[in-house]
Amino acid sequence: MKVYFIIAYRNILQRRVRSLMLAASIVFVSVIFSLLLALVHGVQQTMIANGTALMTGHLNIAGFYKVSQSSANPMVTKYPELMKYAKENIPEADIIIDRVKAYGKLISETDSTMIPMWGVNMDQEKNVLGRLEVEISKDPNNPADLSKLSESGTLALFEVHAKKLKVGVGDMVTVSLPTYRNMTNTKDVKVVAILKDVGMMSQFNAYLNAKDVRELYQNKQDSTGQIMVYLKKLSDLPKVEARMRKEIAEKGYTLMEKESSPFWMKFDRVAGESWTGQKIDITTWEDETSFLKWIVSLLGALTFILTIVLSIIIVMGLINTLWMSVKERTTEIGTLRAIGMQKNKVLWMFLLESLILSVSSTLAGLVLATIICQVLNAAAIPIESDAFKMFLMTNNLSFTFGLAQALMTFFSLVIFFTLGSLIPAFQAAKLSPITAINQS
Amino acid sequence: MQPIHLENVQKNYFLDKVQVSALKGINLKIDAGEFTVIAGPSGSGKTTILNLIGCVDTASSGKVVVGGKETGSLTEKQLTDLRLHTIGFIFQSFNLIPVLNVIDNVEFPLLLQNKQSPKERRDQVMRFIDRVGLTQYAQHRPSELSGGQRQRVAIARALVTKPQIVLADEPTANLDSVTGQNIIDLMKEINATEKTTFLFSTHDHSIMNQARRIIRLLDGRIQE
Ligand SMILES: Nc1ncnc2c1ncn2[C@@H]1O[C@H](COP(=O)(O)OP(=O)(O)O)[C@@H](O)[C@H]1O
Ligand SMILES: [Mg+2]
Repeated sequence: MKVYFIIAYRNILQRRVRSLMLAASIVFVSVIFSLLLALVHGVQQTMIANGTALMTGHLNIAGFYKVSQSSANPMVTKYPELMKYAKENIPEADIIIDRVKAYGKLISETDSTMIPMWGVNMDQEKNVLGRLEVEISKDPNNPADLSKLSESGTLALFEVHAKKLKVGVGDMVTVSLPTYRNMTNTKDVKVVAILKDVGMMSQFNAYLNAKDVRELYQNKQDSTGQIMVYLKKLSDLPKVEARMRKEIAEKGYTLMEKESSPFWMKFDRVAGESWTGQKIDITTWEDETSFLKWIVSLLGALTFILTIVLSIIIVMGLINTLWMSVKERTTEIGTLRAIGMQKNKVLWMFLLESLILSVSSTLAGLVLATIICQVLNAAAIPIESDAFKMFLMTNNLSFTFGLAQALMTFFSLVIFFTLGSLIPAFQAAKLSPITAINQS
Repeated sequence: MQPIHLENVQKNYFLDKVQVSALKGINLKIDAGEFTVIAGPSGSGKTTILNLIGCVDTASSGKVVVGGKETGSLTEKQLTDLRLHTIGFIFQSFNLIPVLNVIDNVEFPLLLQNKQSPKERRDQVMRFIDRVGLTQYAQHRPSELSGGQRQRVAIARALVTKPQIVLADEPTANLDSVTGQNIIDLMKEINATEKTTFLFSTHDHSIMNQARRIIRLLDGRIQE
């Protein structure tokens, strides 16, 4: 065993320049692959972090209330009972809050925009909405203050909408909500804060005072949009979700079928269904942000394609290097076969050579990638392009390189390279021992 | 029973569909402990015979029995095992593993056999290195040794497993005559003390005359 290692190792050293070039290119692929995975994972993390501040708990008790067959109101009636249930029966929960849902128009003097909005109770939002960054107000007489949402007649919105509506802190905007009684109720509200954009999600959210929203819809005080449950450990989610479904159904509530989309994409479907009354919809953060999933998938696919292309180039280099090694060592291999080495040992000898190269270089790449990620994260490189900001859902490039990404890089590259080196290794194993003797 | 026994062995090669008969019916028995030379001009079939006996090639017809086993009926794997356990090879160009030092080169067949403890193995390796007079070069790589010294390493490697048969195809062809003579002397000496069967080929007259038995080959036939 040891002797094969020595042979492989010394042969690598023997062909120093060739091995070094190969090792350097494997390190390169390893770094690139790691960085791309870290970026994708970073975007995913940002998406969870932002999504859970903007529009969803890890788990939500949401639902629709239908007064007539064709209506669809995204609300939970008599919610205090469910809130009590959540607070008493979900020990895994860290924070539990509720928000009222609205869907309507914001109208300024110059423009208007149709968006989903949230009626919030600021007593509950310190660690939720409070996590978002607020733009410094351009008007010194009207400093931005998110906590003012606790007062009636207030609005907080993202930069993207503030720009479109051409409003700043202190300006008035009209909220116009079509209600289920086929009336449209309106109210003038004052902008109290403008939130920094967090990519594409910013376009789908704005915040009002919860009481105002109930009033506009003429809803009772004991109704809300959804109860949002934040877990201490995200890994508990499937377990808790299953339990909630079971227990809430047992309490006599009718549950909606699971559908991975945000509430505002469910209106048409629910409005087309013939039931009336209250149905509960248990959703997860993944369901509510599923309309952004394609971004992560696309980034993942790009990473995959780029890595495959790079790896194929490197694998060809690896195959070529081993190939040359086999050619130069025909006599040696023939000799080993003649003195009694079995074919599979020859195969193993060459695989070992490729393993030493790929394992050590990939590991070196991982170490390098970890360092690069730290440096890049510390540098907090701002993304200049608005399109990229929207796409990557963040304002700074952020890389999350954890054990999962490291293992993924390590195993996919080493397995891929080992498979590639099987070709020359099999060629070596096929060499006849006669080559050792016939050489005069 | 003889370690080597050939019965009416023929070997044909095909060169561009033209049949070349390298061996035309060879009958040969070699007793244990013999020191035999196969002599003959270039192209007479010396290497072909040694390839068949060395189990690296198979006969076109006839019977080749080596160490009590008929090679024609063995699989590739079994032939490899037979080579490992019954035959020692000495090559014309020494064929050492360039990246390994003398000790590791000599130890290699024992590692393949894998039937001794590391300590036993080391002892045996050092004994054979001493036997060929290279103790002070034990840590050297082949590239740091002269041709004669390399062939001594090869002899130690061929003998370290204590094989029944040692085969050598023109072992002195790449050495000057004095060094070549030393190598033959060493082989003779080991043959006398260890009772190993030696079979080697040469076309050098001064060397073939030192063997106890000479098998003269001409054009694929034995001329005894
Ligand atoms: N692989 C081969 N293919 C075709 N002909 C071969 C091959 N090996 C040997 N021969 C032929 O067989 C004959 C015997 O060759 P060989 O055994 O190498 O002779 P020697 O070793 O005595 O010089 C020669 O005519 C040679 O050309
Ligand atoms: Mg020859």
